[in-house]
Amino acid sequence: MAIKFNEVAFTYQKGTPFESQALHDINLEIEDGSFTAIVGHTGSGKSTLLQHLNGLLKPTEGEIQIGEQIITPETPNKALNDLRKQVGIVFQFPEAQLFEETVIKDVAFAPKNFGKTESEAEAIAEKMLQLVGLPESIYQQSPFDLSGGQMRRVAIAGILAMEPKILVLDEPTAGLDPRGRVDMMAMFEELHREQNLTIILVTHQMDDVANYADYAIIMSKGTIIKSGTPRAVFSDPDFLLNNHLNVPTTTLFSKRLTEKGFSFANIPLTEAELADDLVELLSRKGGHDANE
Amino acid sequence: MNKLILGRYIAGDSLIHRLDPRAKLVLSFYFVGIIFMANNWQSFSMLLIFTLGCILASKISLSFFLKGVRPLIWLIIFTVALQMLFSSGGQMYWHWGIFKISEFGVTNGLYIFCRFILIIFMSTLLTLSTAPLQLADAIESLLKPLKTIKFPVYEIALMLSIALRFVPTLMDETAKIMNAQRARGVNFGQGSLIKQMQSIIPLLIPLFVSSFNRAEDLAIAMESRGYQGGEGRTKYRVLKWQTTDTMAFVLFAVVTVALVYLKN
Repeated sequence: MAIKFNEVAFTYQKGTPFESQALHDINLEIEDGSFTAIVGHTGSGKSTLLQHLNGLLKPTEGEIQIGEQIITPETPNKALNDLRKQVGIVFQFPEAQLFEETVIKDVAFAPKNFGKTESEAEAIAEKMLQLVGLPESIYQQSPFDLSGGQMRRVAIAGILAMEPKILVLDEPTAGLDPRGRVDMMAMFEELHREQNLTIILVTHQMDDVANYADYAIIMSKGTIIKSGTPRAVFSDPDFLLNNHLNVPTTTLFSKRLTEKGFSFANIPLTEAELADDLVELLSRKGGHDANE
Repeated sequence: MNKLILGRYIAGDSLIHRLDPRAKLVLSFYFVGIIFMANNWQSFSMLLIFTLGCILASKISLSFFLKGVRPLIWLIIFTVALQMLFSSGGQMYWHWGIFKISEFGVTNGLYIFCRFILIIFMSTLLTLSTAPLQLADAIESLLKPLKTIKFPVYEIALMLSIALRFVPTLMDETAKIMNAQRARGVNFGQGSLIKQMQSIIPLLIPLFVSSFNRAEDLAIAMESRGYQGGEGRTKYRVLKWQTTDTMAFVLFAVVTVALVYLKN
């Protein structure tokens, strides 16, 4: 399902003394089956934008098209139930949403809400728990007895169990150890590749953007200040640094190398690309010290 | 949830904001008490003018106060209507069965309306102009005399300030969990009463669990920072009584005298 934002604006508590505008004329397009990363400071409107994707918030101006559905400020809430099933959102620290007595019941909760029978839902739940890499021995345990990382996996399995077409991830690896982060990102990458899931990822990890995303959106103060492929976005590292945003480690390193006299045809985004470029550059120099 | 004005604090720098929170707390309670002395239009209009003066002095827009009345408007209308329709006395304007509108009923209804408005305005003024932690400090300071009868003043004050500190955090958390569960297909506030009650469970359980976790973390963090209980602690925020506070008391005394003079 493709997503299209047309002049979308959102104001919290409109018409009260506390009103504050979180989004200003947002125009964006997310293609079906793409992996889009949204980056920006805390408070730049990323999370507000995410909640528009499944109708938790409705725009106060403009319109959003998600698949066939068009959301305008006047869209009634009842019309959004179907959308919720198709767009799964994994919120920040999703382990806070667990509540059932057993892991399997919790994962089966969403499919049951969307009309699956008990046994169908449990079958899906088992499949999803396997997918996120949890052992069968914990299926009947209480989710509150698990470790933080396992709870996070159960929560994510609970969203995957809705079998969404679009998966929205709000900092899914925040607070995980390096191993957990890599595993989790690899899992999302696999889902994206194998099931052609559209993924929208909000993150502060520019390395993840460089490694996994094929489209990047940079937000600041409720507007989109830059968007394009990660290569296009990171080709101007100074722009990001001036906006107090990070750039991928590789980009930063190659920027330092450029300052020392190296020149790259394309700014390398991943470690593999950087290594290839360096091998090529060094072999062309015929073994000379590059710093000369 | 966001529509609730009562209990909100609007930062500002006005005469009212700078008053000692103890003075504000005592005076607002006192004011609510003396409202019941008013019993004719002269005394009520004097109190209304006085309250509006206080609101002006706080430099907070009147619309906040009107919003504070809104959640209670049905209660007010219900009480006023009850008074108007069921009391008799004076000239009778209209009656049908047990319902009657009399002169006495109308004035009584109006008085009750005024009382409600005055109480809501004054208490809203207190909470809008006083930071919650200041209020907690004020309550602790005012309860101090109860220490002599072994009342755990310090513990109550600590619990109060922690509770106040975590109200917005828990509200945020509630909103977050609600959103997360709505994304999983829970419809809050839809369907039959039983269904609505069932839909609260996926909200309440995570909220309780996270409160337990939070309490444990907070207790450990407090202990590791050397907290050992109320005995022998010093205070960072010290309340200071100023001449304006004394003046405020004098002003309220004048209002009381005027009220006694004006009422029947």
